[in-house]
Amino acid sequence: MRKLPRFGREACFVLLLIMLGSAISVISWGYGFGSLRQPGPGLYPFFIGAAIVVCALVLLIAELRSGKDEEPLDTDAAKTLAFMTLTFCLWIAAMPLLGYVIVTLLATCAFCKIMKLEGWRKPLALSAGTALFIYALFDHWLYIDLPRGFLG
Amino acid sequence: MEGLELLYNGFANTFTTVNLVACFIGALIGTLVGVLPGLGPTATMVLMLPFTLPYGPTTGLIMMTGVWYGAMYGGSTTSVLVNIPGEAASVVTCIDGYQMCRQGRAGAALALVAVGSFVAGTIGILGLQFFAPMLGRAALSFGPPEFLCFMILAFVLLANLSAEAPLKGALMIALGLFLGTIGINPMDSYPRFTFGSEKLMLGIDFLPIAVGLFGISEVLMTAIQKYVRPVVSRIRLRELYPNREEIRRSISPTLRGSVLGFFVGLLPGPSTVISTFVAYALEKRLSRTPERFGKGAVEGVVAPESANNSAVMGSMIPLLTLGIPFAAPSAIMLAGLRMHNVEPGPMLFTTNPDVFWTFIAAMYLGNLMLLVLNLPLVGAFARVAVIRPQILLPVISVICLVGVYSVRNSLFDVWVMIGAGVIGVFLRLWKFPIAPFIIGLVLGPTTENSLRQTLLMFKGDVTLVADRPLALTLLALAVAFLAYKLAAPLFGSKRALNIQEGRSL
Repeated sequence: MRKLPRFGREACFVLLLIMLGSAISVISWGYGFGSLRQPGPGLYPFFIGAAIVVCALVLLIAELRSGKDEEPLDTDAAKTLAFMTLTFCLWIAAMPLLGYVIVTLLATCAFCKIMKLEGWRKPLALSAGTALFIYALFDHWLYIDLPRGFLG
Repeated sequence: MEGLELLYNGFANTFTTVNLVACFIGALIGTLVGVLPGLGPTATMVLMLPFTLPYGPTTGLIMMTGVWYGAMYGGSTTSVLVNIPGEAASVVTCIDGYQMCRQGRAGAALALVAVGSFVAGTIGILGLQFFAPMLGRAALSFGPPEFLCFMILAFVLLANLSAEAPLKGALMIALGLFLGTIGINPMDSYPRFTFGSEKLMLGIDFLPIAVGLFGISEVLMTAIQKYVRPVVSRIRLRELYPNREEIRRSISPTLRGSVLGFFVGLLPGPSTVISTFVAYALEKRLSRTPERFGKGAVEGVVAPESANNSAVMGSMIPLLTLGIPFAAPSAIMLAGLRMHNVEPGPMLFTTNPDVFWTFIAAMYLGNLMLLVLNLPLVGAFARVAVIRPQILLPVISVICLVGVYSVRNSLFDVWVMIGAGVIGVFLRLWKFPIAPFIIGLVLGPTTENSLRQTLLMFKGDVTLVADRPLALTLLALAVAFLAYKLAAPLFGSKRALNIQEGRSL
C-alpha cells in the first residue's frame, strides 16, 4: 500500500503562510484595489498576498511529495527554548516595576542557569558584571533615561 | 583632481576622536565576532545599531563596516586553528587552512591571510572609490520604471542565491515586503493592516525585527545546540613568518581573489560567502598541481580570504549608488543611515558627499587597523574562540533587550523582537533564509513607491516599459534568469555551486 505523505510541522507552517497570504489579499481588496491607471492602497499588498499564496502552495506540494521528515527538537532543547523565551517575557513584564538594572541582573542569572552554567559563583559574578556594564553603558555613556523602578 | 580633494577632506573628517574610536571599536568587535562561532556579523551590526544613534551617520557607517570587515578578517583565525569557521564566509578556509595548521604552518597561513585581506581590502576600497561615484552619476538617469525593474531583478537573483529552495527565498522576500506595508501608507495616508492599533499606525520598526531575527534567534539556536569545546593551537609571534615559497605562491591568488571578490560582491545574496567558493574553485582550476588542494595549499587559503574581504566593498556599491542593499549586512546599514535621515542612492554624492568620502577614508584606516590588530594579536583572538556560550549568550541577550527598548522606550518593540526571535528559530530549523526577509522589509516601501509611480507614469499601460531600454533590459534579465532556472532541470543541468553553509544566514 502506498504510504501517505506525512504532514509535518514545516508543512503546517507553510499551510499557515497560505492562510496568511489569502488573508492579506482579501483584506487588501477591501482597502480598494483601484486600477492600473489609478492604483488604490490595496493593489500592492494584494499582489504580495497572492505571491505568498502561490509560493507557499508550490512549496507545500513539494514538501508533501518529498516525504522527508524533519528532525524534531529533543526534549532538552525544547525545554531550553521555552525557558529562555519565558525569561525574555518576564524581563519585559518586570522591567517597568523593578527597573532595568535589577531585571537585567536577574535575567542574566536566569539565562546562565538555563544554559547550565555550573555553580552559583560564576552566574552571580557574571550577572553583577553585566548589570554594571549595562548601567555604565546606557546611563553614563549614552545618557539614555531608562526606567529605574523602585530604585528611582 | 576633485576626487583627491574630496578624499583629502574625507581623511580630515576621519581624524576626529569619535570616528577613530568608532573605526577601532568596529574593527575590534568585528574581529572578535569573526572568531566566535555562532554570532555572525549581521547579528552584531544589528546589536550595535542603537549605540550608533547618538553619533552622526558617518560614525555609524564606519562602525558598521568595521564590524563587517573585521568579521571577514577574524573568521579565518578559527578556520585555520580549530577547523571551525567563525562565520559562513570562512567555511572554505577550513579546507586547506586547517591542513596547514596540522603541518605546523598555522602562523604562516594566518600571516598570509592577514596580509592578503589587507591587500584585498585596499583593492576593494579603490574599486568602491572609483566605481561608486561613476555609477552614482549613471544612476541619476534611473526613473521609477528602472528602479522597479532593477528591484525585480535583484529579488529574482536574491531568492535563487540565498536559499536551498528558491521558493523559500521568494516566500521570505514576499513576507518582508508585506511587513513593510503595515501602517499608514505615506502616499495616500491610508492605514493598512493596523486593525485599529495605534502602535501599528507608524508601521513595524525595522530594528526589533532585525535584532529578533538575527540576534535573539541566533542566541536561542546556539543555546539549544550541543557545545563542543574547541582545542586551539598556540601561536607565537615568531611563527608568523611565511617562507619564500609560500609568499611566492600566495601573490597571484591574493590579487585574483581580490578582483574576483569585488565583482562577486555586486551580486545579490550572500556574496561574501559565494565569493570564497568561486575563488577557491578558480584557484584549483588554474593550479598546475590541483591535487595539493585539500592538503594544505596556501592558494586555497589566501584566495577565498582575499575574495571575502573585497566582496564586502563590492556589495557596498549597490547600497551607496542605488540605495538598494543586496545583502543582509548592507540592509542593516541602509536602516542605520535612514535612522540618521540619510538616504543612500544616486543623490548621496551630491547631497552628502562628505558621508561617502569620510567613509572611504575611514575604510583605508580601518583596513590598516585590522592588519595591525590581527598580526600580533592572533594568539589572543584564538583564545577568545574557547569562551563558552554559557558566558557569552546571557550578556548578548540582555544587550538585545535593553538596546531595543532604549531606542524608542517602547516595550511593544521588545515584544516584537522576542516574537521575531522565536519565529527566527523555526525559520532557521526549517532552512528558510532570513536575509531575503530583511531585505524585503527594508525595500518594501521603495518597491511600492516605484510601482505606483511607474503605473501612474505609464497611465496603467505596462507595455510602455518597452520604450525604456534600460528598464526593459533589466526586466529581460530577470525573466531570462527565471526561464533558465525553470528549464535547467529539464536539460539535466547539474552544475551548482555548493553554498549551503552560507545560505541559511
